[in-house]
Order: sequence, then C-alpha cells, then structure tokens
Amino acid sequence: MSQQQPQQDEAPFVARTLGSGTRKEAADANEVLAFYRRQSRTAGEDVEWTFADHPAVTAAPDEGDLATVVRELDAHFENGVPIGIIAAALSKQGDTIGDTMDAIHDLRMTGGLWEPRDDHLRAF
Amino acid sequence: MTRWNTSTDEVEAVSPDITDETNALPARYFTDPAVHEMEKEKIFGRYWMYAGHANAVTEPGDYFTRTIGDKQVIVVRDHDDEVRVFFNVCAHRGSKMVEDTPMTDPGNMGRIRCPYHLWTYDLDGDLTSTPKSFEEAGLNPDLEDEDVCEFDACDNGLKEVTSDTIGPFVFLNFQDDPMPLEEQAGQLKDDLEALPLGEYEHATRIVSEVECNWKTFAGNYSECDHCQANHQDWITDIELRDSELEVHDYHWILHYTHAEDVEDEMRIHDEHEAQFHYFWPNFTVNMYGTADGYGTYIIDPIDEGRFQLVADYYFRDGEMSEEEKGFVQTSRQLQEEDFELCERQYAGLKSGALAQAQLGPNEHTLHRLHRLAQEAYEA
Repeated sequence: MSQQQPQQDEAPFVARTLGSGTRKEAADANEVLAFYRRQSRTAGEDVEWTFADHPAVTAAPDEGDLATVVRELDAHFENGVPIGIIAAALSKQGDTIGDTMDAIHDLRMTGGLWEPRDDHLRAF
Repeated sequence: MTRWNTSTDEVEAVSPDITDETNALPARYFTDPAVHEMEKEKIFGRYWMYAGHANAVTEPGDYFTRTIGDKQVIVVRDHDDEVRVFFNVCAHRGSKMVEDTPMTDPGNMGRIRCPYHLWTYDLDGDLTSTPKSFEEAGLNPDLEDEDVCEFDACDNGLKEVTSDTIGPFVFLNFQDDPMPLEEQAGQLKDDLEALPLGEYEHATRIVSEVECNWKTFAGNYSECDHCQANHQDWITDIELRDSELEVHDYHWILHYTHAEDVEDEMRIHDEHEAQFHYFWPNFTVNMYGTADGYGTYIIDPIDEGRFQLVADYYFRDGEMSEEEKGFVQTSRQLQEEDFELCERQYAGLKSGALAQAQLGPNEHTLHRLHRLAQEAYEA
C-alpha cells in the first residue's frame, strides 16, 4: 500500500483492481471487501489497496503473520476486526485482498480465527 | 409537466403515450430499496437474461457461474455439446456446489460434485452417484437397508434453468414456462444471428461499479440527446442529426452515422454506422462501426443505488493489438463520461425533490424502458 495520505476530499479507503485498475472509494473498509468479492466473482480480478486512512491500520505492524496482525488490531475494535481493516493492514506487507482472504481461509480452517459477527474476526 | 414532491403534485403510472405529462417512471422506482427487491422477481426473475458467451465453454465440462440477484447458476457444456444452465444448488440439501467462476476464467469438470456430501451429477444434471451412506441405513436403528429407497437419477437431479441462445449469446429464464426467447428478442435474434459474432474471441472484461440505479444508466445508454454536450471527443466523428432510434417491443437500436466512411474491415456489420442494441432488461450489444469487433454490457444491479457494468470486448484475436487497446480506452472514456452524468442524475433523484420526470419527444427509447419496467411491476 502506498504511504500517500488521502487528500481532504477523498474517501478514507481506496483500492483498485489489479488487472483493469478499476478504482473503489469507500467510507468503510468492509465495503472494499464487498467490492473485491464482486470483482472476483464477475471478472476473477484481485484488488490491491491504494490507501486506508484508519488509526488501526496506521498502528498495525509492518511484519508478522496474520494471527499476530489480527491480535494487534483487536485492541482498536470492540467485537472483532473488520476483515477490510485486516486486509488493509496486511497490504503494508505487500498482500492483496485476495492474498489476505486466502490466508484467512487457511488460518480459519486450522481453528486459528473466529467470526463473532459477519465479516469481523478475532484470533486465538 | 414535471411533477415535484409537493402536496399538490401526484405521480401516475407511465402513460403509453409519450406526449402525455406522465410519460416517465416515478422517481421512487429508482431509489426505493423495496423496488430493488421487487425487481429481483418481477424483472430479473421473469425475463430472458444474458448468461454469458458460448465461446467461453467450447469443450464438454467447461463451465462458468453467473450470479443474478440472489440466484447463481452454472453454465456448462454437456457431453452432447449442448450448453445447459443449472442452479448452483445441490439437490440433496441445497448447498452451493461450485465456487464462483467468472466467464473470463472458466473451469472444467467431468461431473458436477457437491463438496458437502459428495452427491455427484452428470453434465446433463442427472444424479449419478451418492456415497454409500445414502444407500444403507446402518446408523438408523429404525430402518433396514432394504427399506432404503434408491434415489431416482432424474427426480433427484439438478434444477435446470430454461436457456436458449442468440448466436453465441446464452440466455436464461428463471420461469418454468417462459415466453420463448425468440418472442422476447423479436427481430434482434435475426439481426444478431446474421452476423459472425461467434467468430470473435473474448479479449477483455472491465467491471465498473457505479453509484446509481441500474435503470439510470440504462436510460442514459438509450438516448444520445446528451452526447453533444457530454461526449465531445466521440461526436466529432458522428452525424448526430442523422441518427435513428428504432424501438421494438423488448429491444431498441440506436443507429449513429459516421461523419466519414469507415473501411469495411473496421466494421462487423454492413451499415456505415455504429449500432447499439439494447435488449430488455439489462443487456446490450455494441457494434461501434470503427473496430473489427463488438462489445457487450451487462447492467447488473447491486442494490437500488448501485450497479455493476460488466463490459466485455470481442475481437478477431483474443490478444488485442495496440489499436484495439486504444479503441477499448476510447470506449472506457465514454463509460466514465456517462458514469459521471448518471451519478449526478442519481444524486438529484435521491434528494427526493422530484416525483416524476418529464421525457422529451426524442426519448422514445427511454419511454419504452420505463414502460417495460412499469409493466413488469404491475404484472
């Protein structure tokens, strides 16, 4: 993810598809996740973050595995970390949203994550 | 007369007569979430919908998925070389079976297998096998194995969705006994099947999300009164005054004459013009007249205030030349110009000030769109 900061009139969350470069601006990180799912379903496109203006993302570690990052982010949220925020945090390590979703699936299938509410995760 | 949301103005159904005051769909049909839910059944569950391009599934077992509203189907070529459409739902307990598989990246499978309990179906939808636990009653003390009924391959097969084609375009209809596709398509079927559309290869797909109701964009596509002011690069090569808008029962065609003749090799059709075909409810075929290829749009609603424009481009070769890439970019420019206009219009509609718009005399294609929507809602 670019370190570029959003301008005054820009949405806090911005991403784009890898292939066609279609841009998505959103007020909520999980809106970007929904965009990724639609793009993936319709065009098989992965999505990368352009920037995410959220204190949890800013504070997220620049290294560490998925479980570590989710635990770090957890302090900023009351009932699970929005998956969009997790994806934005992992983009600091170069991950696309598709990469993050794959990693989440793998970790969930080993029991390392749970979902206290829809599209929000906590780590053991 | 435009009708505003005041205590005195009242909206009415879209008049069949375009010269009447109430010739447009009331604004709430563009902004009301309940209308979006209603359209899933009354429009997208009732009319013929574009499923995808047959060239994406050329071999037996090739398949892709298509999502329409809350429904998802598998489009698959069977062992008899027929393209068939099934709900992506297992006949056992309703599990989704195959993963999302876009037409642009099709998969291949010898049989359709549900990952949940491994019920397996042939490509014609018949149930071919179930695990032994469905043939014996070993865990149920109240049943003997001989009491277990064998599942009928057909009765326990997949739910097929009615499908048909126009050239290489595969359409589906979720109704059990729909009007024939050729009846809904009318002359469009003959017009498109006269062209060698199947000889062209898919080159690229661009999916855009736009912040307006799908009918807002559909209306914008259907008229070019806005072109002079808003598509200034494009209209330099077009004789707008020579344009013709041809309206049929469920489709309309926009003919735009080029200012100068274009080489025959640069057109898929004979006429020296661009042709844009709109097929109710949400599919278009775009023949630009300046490229040896064509495009299609699917205008898929996400909710009442957003839609996905799925734009596919087909050329002689799936690998685009630099010229063809430039052409796609020009097309994208037109899209972005239209998206901006549509989002501005939708922002106005959402404000709640307008109750019922007023169409102009040359917006008869748009009038047809609104009439079809009205008829669907009332059906």
